[in-house]
Amino acid sequence: MNTAATKEELEQILDQALQDVTERTAGVRLHQGDQPLGEDLCTVHITFDKGFDTSLTLCADTSLLARMARNSFHENAVTPEDVEEFSKEYFNVLCGKIVGAMFQATQVSAHFGTPVFYHGRYEPEGQEAQFILTYSDEQRAGAQLIHHVPSTRKDKADAAG
Amino acid sequence: MVVDDSRLVRVQMEDVLKGTDYEVAAHCRSGEEAIERYAEVRPDLVTMDIIMQGMDGLDAAEIILKKNPDARIVMISSLAYEDTFERAKEIGAKGFVDKPFHQEQLLKVFEEALT
Repeated sequence: MNTAATKEELEQILDQALQDVTERTAGVRLHQGDQPLGEDLCTVHITFDKGFDTSLTLCADTSLLARMARNSFHENAVTPEDVEEFSKEYFNVLCGKIVGAMFQATQVSAHFGTPVFYHGRYEPEGQEAQFILTYSDEQRAGAQLIHHVPSTRKDKADAAG
Repeated sequence: MVVDDSRLVRVQMEDVLKGTDYEVAAHCRSGEEAIERYAEVRPDLVTMDIIMQGMDGLDAAEIILKKNPDARIVMISSLAYEDTFERAKEIGAKGFVDKPFHQEQLLKVFEEALT
């Protein structure tokens, strides 16, 4: 994000928001770790259209999102449509929380577009991952929260660094 | 009356209000629906999401309050910006709760809105 916050501060904001929102909306505790993702994945993605020129992506095991959807909607079984609906709404709340925390830290008002859902892994075009936060739950299902920046910016930073 | 296009929030609201003195009289999925149904439902309190498809919650709240100055509307949103708070206050909203909400926080704002 194009802010006065350092990468470490941003990582901390993202981490706190994700753990808080996940537990409060879905009753699932996620912990940072190095759990590799499985093969059956879903991705939700938002792009900031005001305040920042970056994007956030959540790529997770479908089983994890399905469990979170079951918990949140109080359903014994969920359809793929339920998982998509839940994932978009959950990510919307998560990103709102992140934007609020970023505003507190930097006074930058940001706005993001509607979350977009993909089956499988999705990499936004023209952007590169600045950092990836990797999580797992007690059932060893995994998720990654990825902060993407425009490729040119990362190239310049790499060249300067 | 709960106005929110999110199924997640509607379910959470039912959960949080279970066992309290409050019950959900109606759910509306848009600002337009809330305006239409307010006169019919006559709720003691409205919780209004801000960002929804179509008319946003602040505009819907303003219209409801112009027609019904005694309406008690609490804004609920993940967009907790100062300018959003200020606009909510200006139009006469009785409170503001950010998502995801806690039961204690929500009930406190409800009580304040109803006194």
